[in-house]
Order: sequence, then structure tokens, then C-alpha cells
Amino acid sequence: MTDTPRDHDDDLYADGYEGDGRDAAEPAPTPDDERLAGAGPAHAAADAPAAATSASVVREAPPSDDDEDEYRWHTGMNRPTGVPDAVEFVDVHKAFGRNKILRGLNMGLPEGKISMILGPSGTGKSVCIKHMVGLLYPDEGDVLVHGESVPNMTDDELFDMRKRFGVLFQDGALFGSMNLVDNVAFPLRQHTDKSEDEILEIVYKRLDEVGLGSAHDKMPNELSGGMRKRAGFARALVLDPNIVLFDEPDSGLDPVRTALLCELIQEIHEENGGCYTVITHDIMSARRVAEYISVLWRGRIVEAGPAEELFNSDNAFVRQFLSGESQGPLGME
Amino acid sequence: MGGWLALPKEWIGSFGSIAKFSGKILKQVYTLRVLHFFGETLRQCGVLILGSTLVIWGLVFIVGLQCGIEGAYFTRAQGAPAYSGVFAAWCDLREIVPYGFGYMMAAKVGTGIVAELGSMRISDEIDALEVMGIDSVLFLCATKLLASWLVLPFMYMAAVGAGFFASYLAVVQQIGEVSPGGFSLIFWMFQNPPDLLYSVIKAMVMATAIVLVGCYYGYHAGGGPVGVGTATAKSMVMNIVLVHLIGMLGTQVFWGANPRAPIGG
Repeated sequence: MTDTPRDHDDDLYADGYEGDGRDAAEPAPTPDDERLAGAGPAHAAADAPAAATSASVVREAPPSDDDEDEYRWHTGMNRPTGVPDAVEFVDVHKAFGRNKILRGLNMGLPEGKISMILGPSGTGKSVCIKHMVGLLYPDEGDVLVHGESVPNMTDDELFDMRKRFGVLFQDGALFGSMNLVDNVAFPLRQHTDKSEDEILEIVYKRLDEVGLGSAHDKMPNELSGGMRKRAGFARALVLDPNIVLFDEPDSGLDPVRTALLCELIQEIHEENGGCYTVITHDIMSARRVAEYISVLWRGRIVEAGPAEELFNSDNAFVRQFLSGESQGPLGME
Repeated sequence: MGGWLALPKEWIGSFGSIAKFSGKILKQVYTLRVLHFFGETLRQCGVLILGSTLVIWGLVFIVGLQCGIEGAYFTRAQGAPAYSGVFAAWCDLREIVPYGFGYMMAAKVGTGIVAELGSMRISDEIDALEVMGIDSVLFLCATKLLASWLVLPFMYMAAVGAGFFASYLAVVQQIGEVSPGGFSLIFWMFQNPPDLLYSVIKAMVMATAIVLVGCYYGYHAGGGPVGVGTATAKSMVMNIVLVHLIGMLGTQVFWGANPRAPIGG
């Protein structure tokens, strides 16, 4: 198994800075206070409130003792859904060198629902996916899939477990040496005893579903980004997996195709069921398809629960993120 | 202290990682788990045959000409042009053909493997294989090693033939100071079937090292296209060094104690 931090897009934690949480009941600071936290020497703490009215770059930061502010929005509240979790993260920590990506993540993805993991760029969303399928292992904590501990599986158990998954990678991850049909047929040829005719029947059905029926003989480099994503979607579904993971399916797509892809996800989920998990930071996609939302920031869950409840949350961070506003706890840092 | 030790430590660390990864691939081949993907192995055989045969034969043909020319002019300078076959026989079979084969394997096959696996790595194709429940090392690396073992001995022996033919052309047809029969008499007198076997072993050890190093650097490439380029360059450096090490050790082991030359008693 590989254990290399290949494609996490996170440099936010490069300084090894690590907060340890603060009482959530503490008064909320202004947005500019939040931006200032941990950014400079300790002696200027008293100046921090004044920062709200001037450029934050010239203000000095509060003392390092206030690093615990980092988690003041993380209530960790997990509103019940009434169904068991297909995937659970139990106090998961993961660091790449000095970059601490997951810092005590506790998260569940309910069975039979379309869940969304939302959060700003670089908060460890893609790293979560890699933990679920055993491409990465936690430094501490556990990841459970249908109650089985992924890090404690043998290689053979892990490969068996992965057959229950379908994963749509950001760019589709189609095999460059195969045409579309062979790409989508690949899992069927490797894992089933179906005849070639049966395989092709399934493959063409899936390709038709994603609107690629006429492009079946094209090579991946002849396809647009959106087509590659849809082809990756068809391949992810071809074994009728119990758990399907979508890593930013909407990135690089125009709004119409994003909407169509979201509809497709819903339709396929209605047809097949199972635990579908979409990683995104696109709020429109979340409003369209999410039944359950987990908001992830700085390696921990801020809040999680049924979509309609999260969209009405009182948490300032959740409210800011789900409404896509510039004012609020989340700044550019 | 730590400064000057850092580089050797890094080399030892890299060597250990490569050895561990190579051990895993060799185990997968020796335990025949690789046969689970025999179709992919055959595809890799096809890629090797179609993609590398002509360039390897072409390079070996040229170095074979070189051996013939060097041998002919050297023996003529000693007043014994009839013995140009001695130089050609040893130069071809024992040294230049294995080296030429190793160079072209490193340049064509080794870097090709790094580029292929590296681009698969950065475009998540290897991760995609893994999450489909397929052992990516087995599918991508062990199949390449088995394919190279299936194809390359024959390709190499044919390359040896190309080298011999080129030397014959240079000595007999181009320079023309030795008759065909005279060249053949000496040429074949100074080599025998075990020499060919040793030469094949030398070349196959080179090929195995090149495939394993290529797989290691490609599989572990990171950092985007630049990272793949860097991994390709590193693999080329390591493979060229290994080709010479293996060549040197092979000559020492196979012909060092006994040069197998019918000279004197």
C-alpha cells in the first residue's frame, strides 16, 4: 500500500501550528480577529480588537496562548439521522511531515444516504477519501467501514473490502492506455466471471446513463474534462458498489453540467441505494443533492447532520460557509 | 558531522527502499501470483517486442560494426590480421553487446516504465487500480518483470546475432583482409556455448535491475510532471551505474578466473 502524500492540496499546516481548542461558549471574535490569530508576536494582543477597522496585515497578532481559538467554531455536533453509519472516522489524526491534516476527526457517513463532506480548500477532504479505501492509514485513531477497521485489515481483506467501493477521482483517473469501453469494463473483467457480451451490455448501459454512449471507442486523451469525469462515474458504478465516493465531481465543470451530474448522482442513488459520499466545496451542489452534510475545517468536523438542519445551523462558521459569504469566521488564511 | 553523513544516509535509505520494493515484485513473480494477470503480462510482452526490439538490435548492430573495425585495425597493426576474429568474438559477446543492450534498455525501457508509471501515479490511475481491489504492484510491476524475462532472452540472443553479423560485415566485407572462412574459424574458436549463456545471464541481470529500478522510481513518483521528469532522470543515472557494475562483476565472475581462450596449452 502506498502511504505518500501525493495529492493533498494543503499547505496550510506547513508551519506545524497546532491549536488545541477553546470553550465553544466563549464570545465569538470578529472576522478580523480570526484572521489575526497566530500571525505575529505575543505582545500585541491588546491591539487585536482594533484590527476590525484597518488592514489586518499591519496589525500584530494575539499571543500564541490564543491558538486554542482555532477550534472555537468546532462544536463537533452530530445530529442523529436514525440510520447506522457505513463509514466511521474515530479520532483520526494524520500528518504529512510537519503538516497536520486530520487532527482528531470524528465523522460518520450514514448508510443509504447521499452525504457531503464540505469544507474550505486544504482541510483534508480528499485525505478522508483515501483513508476510507485504505490508500492512506491514520497516524492515530481508526477508520471503520461497515464496522471493520480498515487499518487492521490484511492486504487481501483490504482488496476485498475495496470491491465494495466505487470511487470517482477528481479527473476521472481513466487508464490512458485503454479506450472508454475497456476502462469501464476493466473492473468487470477483473472481478466477475461474466461473459464478454454481458460485460459489454453493462458497460454500454452505464455509458448511456452518463451520456457517453456515442464516445465508447474514444481514448481518454480525446475526451474533455467533463466527459472524463462522467466516464469515471460510469466506471465507479459498474460493479454496483455499496459505497460510492466522489472527489469533487463538480470541479472544472460548467454550471449546467454540474447540475446534470448532480441529477445523475441522485438518479443512480435512487436506483441503487447505498452510501454515496460527495466531497466538494460547491454549495449549489450541496443544496441539490446532499441529504447529510459534514462540515470539515482544520482537520475536524465543525458540525454534521441532515442537510436541511445544517443549512439552518446557528453556527457562524457553518452559516458563512453554506451561504458562501465573505464575512464570517473563515478568512483567507 | 550530520551534514556530510546526510548524503550517504540518503543513498543507503534509497537503496533499502528499492531493495524492499524489488523484493516484493520478485516474490510476486516467483510465487506465480503474477499469473493472475497473465493477459497483462502478454500485453507487456507485446509492448516490449514492438517498442524496443528494433532499437536494441539497431544499436547492437552498430556496436558490432565497431568491434569488427577496432579488431581488424588492431590486429593488422600487430601484423596478424587473420586474428581479428578474436577481438570481435570477445568484444561482441562479452562486453559491447551486453553494454549496448543495457544502455538501450535503460534509455528506452527503463525510462519508459518510469514515465508510464509516474504519469499513472500523478493522474491517480494507480490509486484507481487500488480502489478497484487490484494489487497495483502486481498488476503494473510484476507483469512487466515477467514479460521482460519471457521476451528479453530471445531478443538478446538475436541481438548477439546482429552484433556478430555486423562484425563479420566490418571485418570481412568492409576491411576485407580476412577471408570469410578464416574469420569464422578464429571467431568461433574463441567462444563456446557457455560463453553465450554467461552473456545472456549478464544481460538478464542488467534487464532485471533496469525494470525494477524503473518500476520503483515510476511507482513512487510524485510532485506532478516535474516530479516524473526528476524520477526519470534519477532512474537513468542509477540504471547506467548498475549496468556498468553488473557488466564489471559479470566479466570478473564469468571470465576473470578463466578467460576461456584457446591460447597456448
